[in-house]
Amino acid sequence: MLFNSLTFIVFFAIVVTLYWGLHGWELRKNLLVVASYIFYGAWNPPFAALLFSTTCMDFWLGRQIARAQGSHRKRRWLVASVCMNLSMLGFFKYGNFLLQNFQWLLARIGIVYQPPHLDILLPVGISFYTFHSLSYTLDIYRGVLQPTRSLRDFVLAVSFFPQLVAGPIVRAGDFLPQLRHPPRLKENQFFWGLALMTLGLFEKIVLADTLLSGSADRVFNYAGPLVALDSWAGVLAFAGQIFFDFAGYSLCAIGAALTLGFHLKDNFRFPYAAIGFSDFWRRWHISLSTFLRDYLYIPLGGNQVRPFRAALNLVIVMFLGGLWHGAAWTFVVWGLLHGSYLVIERVFRVLFEAKQWASTLPVRVIAGFATYAAVCIAWVFFRAPDFTVASRMLGGMFGQHAQDDAILTTRELLQIGSVTAALIAMHWGMRDNTFETAVMRLPHWAITAIGSAMACAVIFTQGNSNAFIYFQFQGTAPATALVFPQTFAGGTDSWRSASGI
Amino acid sequence: MFFRKPSREEQIHGGPPLEFERPIPPAPWRGIAVVVTIVVIAATTAWELYCRSLGYAPTLNDDEDLWTQRRRIVAPESIVIIGDSRAWFDVDLDEFQKGLGKRPIQLAMAGSTVWPALADLADDKNFHGTIICSVVPFLFFAPPGSPPMERAEKGVKRFHNQTPAQRVSEYLAMPLEEHVAFLKPDDLSLEALLNQLPIPNRPGALVPPRFPPYFQTEDRERRARMWEKCAEPGSELAKKIQQIWLPLFTPPPPPTYVPKDVFFAQMNEGIQKRFADVTAAIEKIRSRGGKVVFVRFPNSGGLKELEDRITPREKTWDPLLKMTGAPGIYYSDFPELSGFNCPEWSHLSAGDSVEFSKRLVPHLRAALKM
Repeated sequence: MLFNSLTFIVFFAIVVTLYWGLHGWELRKNLLVVASYIFYGAWNPPFAALLFSTTCMDFWLGRQIARAQGSHRKRRWLVASVCMNLSMLGFFKYGNFLLQNFQWLLARIGIVYQPPHLDILLPVGISFYTFHSLSYTLDIYRGVLQPTRSLRDFVLAVSFFPQLVAGPIVRAGDFLPQLRHPPRLKENQFFWGLALMTLGLFEKIVLADTLLSGSADRVFNYAGPLVALDSWAGVLAFAGQIFFDFAGYSLCAIGAALTLGFHLKDNFRFPYAAIGFSDFWRRWHISLSTFLRDYLYIPLGGNQVRPFRAALNLVIVMFLGGLWHGAAWTFVVWGLLHGSYLVIERVFRVLFEAKQWASTLPVRVIAGFATYAAVCIAWVFFRAPDFTVASRMLGGMFGQHAQDDAILTTRELLQIGSVTAALIAMHWGMRDNTFETAVMRLPHWAITAIGSAMACAVIFTQGNSNAFIYFQFQGTAPATALVFPQTFAGGTDSWRSASGI
Repeated sequence: MFFRKPSREEQIHGGPPLEFERPIPPAPWRGIAVVVTIVVIAATTAWELYCRSLGYAPTLNDDEDLWTQRRRIVAPESIVIIGDSRAWFDVDLDEFQKGLGKRPIQLAMAGSTVWPALADLADDKNFHGTIICSVVPFLFFAPPGSPPMERAEKGVKRFHNQTPAQRVSEYLAMPLEEHVAFLKPDDLSLEALLNQLPIPNRPGALVPPRFPPYFQTEDRERRARMWEKCAEPGSELAKKIQQIWLPLFTPPPPPTYVPKDVFFAQMNEGIQKRFADVTAAIEKIRSRGGKVVFVRFPNSGGLKELEDRITPREKTWDPLLKMTGAPGIYYSDFPELSGFNCPEWSHLSAGDSVEFSKRLVPHLRAALKM
């Protein structure tokens, strides 16, 4: 179920009431397991069985890794766990993508192969819970974590409903210790959790879905060439939409966990005020970037190798990071672009970091805006369903089309402009702080007024339970819809004559 | 730290003890929560009262979940109404039940094309009932990717893919919508209100079409009734809606990025394909013993003139009946059906819809050989 749905409101109210009403800690943990599986099964009940079976496998494999004598044996069990998890992910998420590419490759050498169409229904959140689960065996192998004796606790760590389907990617090592002692109901923590959920819903329902998504969809779905203003406006709208959408989900998850007494780490830290791309990845989807850093980049040698190899490591990590987001070459290009950005930044650092002018305020501001612009250009590949659309968008952004159309209304342009300006101003204003510090500095009446305004806006917006964008990282690019006037067009007389009417 | 031996207590889960705890900003959070709750309740109540003072009444929203709920109860021998908003407004289920002996299921959808629902019923191997299909040619031939097609597809897709969570949300939403007037996403949501701001657009900007405001209520059987304020003779609301239909029913110019001849060839091909697809779908239904009847519901005034001009009967309705071999009832062919006036040019008032349905039933019985 979605956080922005009536079902979730009722579900959450029941779970929270029962959870704090029950006395035994074991009973409360059982309740959370049941609630998490109901939450997950509410999408497609059979997939709950798949989630349970992969969790059990990792639980068992974790024990085997811990028991195994010698690094060789430990590695064998770890390979089994990695293969099991990634093959599940590969089959459900990348099955059709791999088949299509195999078909394309064969066609290049003159072999006509018609692969069977695999009608694979993708389990929601598989990309996230695979990583939750995988972190457990990886950490046991690394010696960071001892295997838990309780299958129920591990099941809860993987399936804990606030973070189950769209993150943050909570490592078992961060969550399992929290199951050791029952949390006490702390009033301030509970209400702060509710406040974070309200903010998250406001970001999702009001800012992402209402003020930005419609314009971004119209621009990316438009089949013709667009003027530069509309192209850029569409990309900025998407940049804002994806931030508010995903950061909103993360805030809801963190807030919901807090109301139940659990602590999840930040997943976003004002990313559009990043100065440079390594800074961006320390601020954007932090749980994924740290996961890739610890389990992929560092094992590859990280930056403790020759510069060329370190650069290659970066590109490999970002390539896989891109592919993780979706089974399409557009996501791969998005990842590779970010990989290239990181490599270029390294070169710049070597060349200019020691220069005094490099750390002056104007240069930092220019570098910040250049980072934002480059991130936006990469978003084109992330949002576009294919390279045709991506190249048309980039052409529009850089004024390449001779006869261009303007499709956004003045209201939409004003909305995108004002929301983007406010977003960037807030990120720059808080870039060296935490969100909690910013709230702490506000007078109480301002917190009350902002909270009331956000809650009212959520109610009056009447969101229609649009899925969060990160739910779509299930195999394909975001769904597209053509805009009516494009296809159902034709002057009255000409339409008649053309249609034979 | 990572490689130290865990203590005995830690060994139950292993790993280092919890080192991370989220900071909680110090503030009187309970007091803030109480004040926020009071403000939200007061603001919501004020907004509800204001909306009611404007004439909005609590009613169900016609979304894909409500459609799915009705689609779910279609039995093999059901009588099903599909098509556009004219069938949705103009059919009285009670009169149809009296006249046809069975309560029909309302699956017509405002602003939609009939094809997805027809194809879905044709593909439903259990279905061998009766289909009453409304025809508004401008919508009937709407191409893939257009809003009428998307709206209809949304309903059919939701019927096939509805998750348990969506189903529960639907049952939770219904009593709310039946009691709260401001729950109208098309009219009173933040997005709809922003859309109504009178901000001029750039010259030549391709802006999306405007849709009519709230002017109907709907019950759990998806029976739509025109709001009385709209049905009043010479009402301002009706006049406003009339002026919205005209641009909405006028095909916009071809897109700039497709050569005209290519575009019109594609359009023509699409229309011929729709004729062929509909014929094949009806054949499937008939082969299982099912029946299909087309109905052209009344229209009036400037909209009737426009429709007659851009989608004349001899190029749409007549070939449709000829190709499919299905019976059809064109309202203007029968004096008892043609004397009705649509207040906003496109739909009958709630009262007239009952009378029209009563008069339509004998024609349906004859067409369906009942």
